[in-house]
Amino acid sequence: MRGTYLSYAAKRFAQAVVVILLAYVFTFVVVSILPGDPITNVLRDPQNGFSEDQIRQIIAAQGLDKPIPVQLWTSLSNFVTGDLGLSMRSSRPVTTLIAEVLPSTLILASAAFAIALLLALTIAYGTQFVPKRFGQGLLRGFPSLFLSVPNFVIGLALIHIFGFQLGLFRVIAPDSFWATFFAAIALGVPISARITEVLIANLDKESEQEYAAVARSRGLGQARLFARHLLKPSSLPVVTVIALAIGELLGGSLITETVFGRTGIGSLVQRSVSTQDLPVLQAVVSLAAVVFVLVNLIADLVYPLLDPRVKLIGGPRVRPTTADDAATATSAAVTS
Amino acid sequence: MTLASFSSASRDTSIGRLAVLRVPPTVALSFVVIALVIAWSLAPGLFTGHSPVVGVPADKLLSPSAAHWFGTDHLGRDLYTRVVYGTASSVTSALIAVVIAAVAGGLIGLLAGFLGGWVDIVLARLVDVLLAIPNFLLAVIVVTAIGFDTTNAAIATGVSAVAVFARVMRSEVIKTRQAVFVEAAFLMGGSRWHILLRHVLPNASRSVLPLAVLQFGLSILVIASLAFLGYGDPPPASDWGLLISIGKDYLKWPWLVYAPAFVTIATVLSVNRISRWLRKTD
Repeated sequence: MRGTYLSYAAKRFAQAVVVILLAYVFTFVVVSILPGDPITNVLRDPQNGFSEDQIRQIIAAQGLDKPIPVQLWTSLSNFVTGDLGLSMRSSRPVTTLIAEVLPSTLILASAAFAIALLLALTIAYGTQFVPKRFGQGLLRGFPSLFLSVPNFVIGLALIHIFGFQLGLFRVIAPDSFWATFFAAIALGVPISARITEVLIANLDKESEQEYAAVARSRGLGQARLFARHLLKPSSLPVVTVIALAIGELLGGSLITETVFGRTGIGSLVQRSVSTQDLPVLQAVVSLAAVVFVLVNLIADLVYPLLDPRVKLIGGPRVRPTTADDAATATSAAVTS
Repeated sequence: MTLASFSSASRDTSIGRLAVLRVPPTVALSFVVIALVIAWSLAPGLFTGHSPVVGVPADKLLSPSAAHWFGTDHLGRDLYTRVVYGTASSVTSALIAVVIAAVAGGLIGLLAGFLGGWVDIVLARLVDVLLAIPNFLLAVIVVTAIGFDTTNAAIATGVSAVAVFARVMRSEVIKTRQAVFVEAAFLMGGSRWHILLRHVLPNASRSVLPLAVLQFGLSILVIASLAFLGYGDPPPASDWGLLISIGKDYLKWPWLVYAPAFVTIATVLSVNRISRWLRKTD
């Protein structure tokens, strides 16, 4: 058993490394088909005052005159050693630029994640114990509703109601407590939808099991049944969905940071898109892939340890809720 | 057309007919919403007498009223008209995105599941890579690479959804391949392509339909988000996301945000409801 787990872990780890490297290559290819020539555009900017000769020298020094595959190889080997290159606009190391804005995004993302979990638990708890005639159906409709609202609309509505009408926070101070809190809600609500769906589907399944009926007949209260018996088995498959949610947090921060005027990874991406700062885009997308792959790797590795029922025989995808299901989590869970 | 007459005088018979079709009322309502949206995009001129581009400066920033259902914007243009005229590009672009995602993803999944072996391994890694990059980020870099306009935003959205279709299609194909009738077709000497096209594809793609409908709703949201960030067509286009983006600078007149947002939400909610219903009746 131990041996199987170790070889499973090694296999998954190797797979994760391959995916990260391929994601880097993929991004490189996508970014290098950009129309126009952003690099010489920057160099030819009259403000820089380079002569044609100097431009040629700079391009040669940066290795930008070499064929694309050679450039890719250089860039990839730098990436592996942790060197993400220089920003084309500010000539500062990309790692520094990212490190500067990372804390703000981390705060926002973790707050949003906490809110998403709390919301998911509350709604899922409600669907189990609110009687049908007191709006259980309404609660079950929440995930679908959350998935239908663009997250910038949630953000704008929160700014309008709590910022403008109630004066709880001011948009010009985006890092204040309340501003961060509401930004986290805007980011967290759509993410909670998927977690809620899977949680509800699993709770429904578990509460029909015999042990739940036994616990009920022993006179166990609803809250204790939920917390002591139903929650643990139901939340195991949620681990996979949570790993997927991390990616959505990164993507969503792009919008939320713009709406709330925060400085973070999302606004860095937006700025780099408008100035065509390729090294920064390449770096952020690759790092997002690294984070996503690592979180999923951890989820995959932890899962068999949490749930002894999982057998590690048929290759890597053996969890009850596999990545396949998670990709269709929306669809699968909505069915029930 | 049965559905459209749902709210008319012949209520009893309509409900009776709906019951025969087993269409729940919320699904019927969703179809009505979608029918209206389609009508808006096909013939916007039938639904409004105002111009979407030329405004009356004296009437700027009016609140919603009988004359201007959604109020007017900062240039005195009727917002309802702008929403109606923006429907075509908002909806068509989502359609383009879904078609790209379903065809490309479906093909990848079909080949991976049917051929198996090293083809499956290579395609599975490709799908892993597409899944590893957060959807929205992927859409953003693709649209950056191919240029900012609504069609490109649709293509980018489609690319970012390829992986989902590939995964579902692959698992469906594998499931179908193991079915007895496929085995029988092989034993009767059917060629691989014949079996692939006549037996596996039709059966496996049945579950892709609800996913495509669901993805249509999601695509509307992603494209609206791209338009919101300014990666779609510039004004005076009136894509829903762009309208909301313009409205955010006039939060003192909140209907500029809420009206287009309401239309977007109602559309996506209806699409999601229909997708769920399709899955259940399947």
